[in-house]
Amino acid sequence: MNKMIIPLIACIACAVVVSVTAVTVRPEQNLNVENEKKLKILAAAGITTDEVEKEFSKIKTLYVDFKSNQLVEVTENYDHIKASSNVAQSSLVPKEQDIAILKRRENVAPIYVWYSEQNQIQKIVLPIRGYGLWGTLYGYLSLDADLNTVKGIEYYDHKETPGLGGEVDNPVWKSDWNGKKVYDSSGNVVLYVTKGPSTEEYEIDGISGATLTSNGVSNMIKYWLGENGYGPVLEMLRGDKA
Amino acid sequence: MKAISVKETRKLLFTPIVENNPIALQILGICSALAVTVKMDVTLIMCIALTSVVTLSNLFISIIRHYIPDSIRIIVQMTIISSLVIIVDELLKAYAYEASKQLSVFVGLIITNCIVMGRAEAYAMKNPPIKSMLDGFGNGLGYSFVLLVVAAIREIFGSGTFFGMQIMPETYPVNNFLLLPPSSFIIIGIMIWVIRSFSKSQVEENENPLKAHTFKPLTVKKEVQSG
Repeated sequence: MNKMIIPLIACIACAVVVSVTAVTVRPEQNLNVENEKKLKILAAAGITTDEVEKEFSKIKTLYVDFKSNQLVEVTENYDHIKASSNVAQSSLVPKEQDIAILKRRENVAPIYVWYSEQNQIQKIVLPIRGYGLWGTLYGYLSLDADLNTVKGIEYYDHKETPGLGGEVDNPVWKSDWNGKKVYDSSGNVVLYVTKGPSTEEYEIDGISGATLTSNGVSNMIKYWLGENGYGPVLEMLRGDKA
Repeated sequence: MKAISVKETRKLLFTPIVENNPIALQILGICSALAVTVKMDVTLIMCIALTSVVTLSNLFISIIRHYIPDSIRIIVQMTIISSLVIIVDELLKAYAYEASKQLSVFVGLIITNCIVMGRAEAYAMKNPPIKSMLDGFGNGLGYSFVLLVVAAIREIFGSGTFFGMQIMPETYPVNNFLLLPPSSFIIIGIMIWVIRSFSKSQVEENENPLKAHTFKPLTVKKEVQSG
């Protein structure tokens, strides 16, 4: 019995030290994660910079209510990803609409808008997410001033296989999004990830060996930019500008 | 506690770098040497992480070595090693986020790195704390030496940069082979060859030499006898 005392103390000491470290550095880690998201928002819009805060302050964050499809005010520090698992702030996505396999979606989501001095929309970044192969991909899609042409896409969190589905982080693949069109002339979402190289302006190169990830990306574009996602709001913003 | 002489300290610290290198002679810890040697800065952080883990794990294990029951010694060692690795991982996520994202699982995999376990089992369980700590640090240096050399070769000739700075002429094409993990196998192989051609004592004896005029496996002969 006595023999076990030192190993036991060692175990408890290890547990305490690990927990204390984890708790003390948590705020720093959260700060890094937040910073990473901002970087990705800027990267999606084609901006690479070291002065994240300065660039970020040029952006106007608007909040979209998916029920009324209007812009709304929110309380400070609203986190739409957290809200999506909060029963009061989210709603179930009906099965037949749930092509991106979200299950629950927040009622209010942010969009990031760059305004010109004449109050014209220059570009816009939309948070998107959806199920790939192993888990949900979280990312941002950026649209140009016409709210139809894609500027870029960035994922900040996913669990896809490195080298296969993980190639959603590949700069060459991401660069294929630039200039592609989301909607056709009658307003349907037509952008999708094809198999093999892309030939049309609403096609994105397929990722070899990652059909399910590619389908997941296609589905999340279709869902978030369609009528159940940001579609109506984009329509409204487009109307404002004309 | 007896003070450790300068000569002994030097021996503990520097023999693992060339004479008894954990990667080049003992062929341990190859996995991370292949995976994290694409860029110098990432490699350097990995080396610091591993060196601090192996140094501290050797120290703590050596302190309680007389009180660890033999039957559960591996579990106690693992507890200490994995706690240290988790702490390093958490600190990296907080203060070196970019590097920790690139290192991804390989920081966590220090837990199963043979060098750490090997030093704990082979040295720290039998020697006093200060000596064990120096031994751990020395082996960390040995590991770092090989990794940094491999990373320098891979970064300079692979992407034409060194610590992210362009050093090759702009026209230098990216060498994709050196950016992929198998290239470190070859670089480490060449390093081992170079080291062994200088210090002959490291050359292993051929354990299974081919006998002259061998044409039939021995087992066939036995079957004939028994039949």
